Amino acid sequence: MTCAELRERLDAYASGTLPDREAAAFEAHLGRCAECVARLEAAAPRLEPMTTLPRAVAPAADLWPAIRSRLARRGAAGPGRIAVPGWWLAAAAALLIAVSSGVTALVLRRGGGGAPSVVPAFRPSVSLTTLEAQYSAASDDLTGALEKARARLAPETLAIIRRNLATIDSALAESRRALARDPANAALTQLVVAAWRQKLDFLRRATALSTAS
Amino acid sequence: MRLSPLVLLPPLLAAPLAAQQKVERRFAVAQDVSIRITNTAGVIRVIGWERDSIVVIGALAPGASFFGGGKGAFAKLGVERMDETVAGPGSTLEIRVPRGARVSVRSVTAGIEATGLTGELQATSVSGSIKAGGGLKLLMAETMDGDLEVGGPIEITRITGGRGTVTLRDTRGDVLATTVGGPITATGARITRAHLETVSGAITYEGGVDGRGTLEAVTHAGDVTLRLPAAIPAEFELQTFEGTIETTLFPKGNVQHQPRDGSPWTFATAGGGAQVTVRSFKGAIRVLKQ
Repeated sequence: MTCAELRERLDAYASGTLPDREAAAFEAHLGRCAECVARLEAAAPRLEPMTTLPRAVAPAADLWPAIRSRLARRGAAGPGRIAVPGWWLAAAAALLIAVSSGVTALVLRRGGGGAPSVVPAFRPSVSLTTLEAQYSAASDDLTGALEKARARLAPETLAIIRRNLATIDSALAESRRALARDPANAALTQLVVAAWRQKLDFLRRATALSTAS
Repeated sequence: MRLSPLVLLPPLLAAPLAAQQKVERRFAVAQDVSIRITNTAGVIRVIGWERDSIVVIGALAPGASFFGGGKGAFAKLGVERMDETVAGPGSTLEIRVPRGARVSVRSVTAGIEATGLTGELQATSVSGSIKAGGGLKLLMAETMDGDLEVGGPIEITRITGGRGTVTLRDTRGDVLATTVGGPITATGARITRAHLETVSGAITYEGGVDGRGTLEAVTHAGDVTLRLPAAIPAEFELQTFEGTIETTLFPKGNVQHQPRDGSPWTFATAGGGAQVTVRSFKGAIRVLKQ
């Protein structure tokens, strides 16, 4: 897929109507084209309404009390879904896709190291729990790739990477602790997502650097 | 002036040169040529000019070799060393390129400077500083530890820093700047859309926001200071969980707001228009009159 073709398919991708094969090509292109990732980020506010469109017609009013009571019971048993603005998740998912595709390309190029975890395509209604699991898997993949490449990096560069990651990890831990105390807080959720985004972006840069050295 | 084809088409082969040797190369290229430049340590200076050719003048470090070649729409050049992981003296490259070129520059510790360009610049470094002049259509710059400085209006700016400072002057258009610990400072700004984000660095923004524009500042621990025109028509959403909020935009003077449980403070000035959003976990937020 070319940059122009990707631009033409942005809306279809955001609304989840792009056929699977084209969506895969779309994501593969994002994994190797920083310019298109930047374009996608820039378009996120415009695409937001598409990500928040209702997926189904609301049920009849008399069904609601029973559903609500079931949801309430399920909510008490485990973590629920937290409302996060669509563009945050769009940007987060775009980065995740880019990072995951980058890891895939990296591992394929090297011809070893086992297959990285497969991260599903962008789903606008994804929950934070799911997103964090995917972030964590992508983070592990990148950390592993970086670890394998550490012999090619100068000690000064490794020190820079460690210092930056320590700052990000500290912020991530602090935000997650605050979110654990107030799990329904959308703004705290955004801060956790922002910290993950920072971490993955930094790991991606460090990994790209190690492969280019 | 057209140069002889024999001079213009040097082979893409590394040419080992003696210690501290000078290098000079010329290539005829298209005005919108894509150029890749690599120099791990030292200085890379890229200067846009009106001619449809590339001229490289450099001083190579001991043990380094120059490579370069290209014609028409693509050129590639740079400096190689035997062992890039060992620190050593750097090489200096001064490269004149067509103004409208698409330039990609990569370094490890080398500083990167670019002026006079009107096309696209992608600059990447580990710990080197990056300086770019205004006039570009697109700037994508990233460094993990070096400082980043942009000296004029650019249509689209994408900056990723680490612990170094990010300084943006006469900021315009669409800006995305993120750092880990480095502060971000934008002065003389008049943006359409800006997203400034740090983990622990401070964010300072001085200037205006276009009528329907958006300005977002996000930090975990860094303080955020916005200095905006007194009569800016904008809607504000300011949120910090453990910091404080202060503004001097209201006629009654300095107003301080102590958020409860991080709930956002929203208000509008001059009937609203632009969107200004600041979000921090524990940084202080100050929105001040210019």
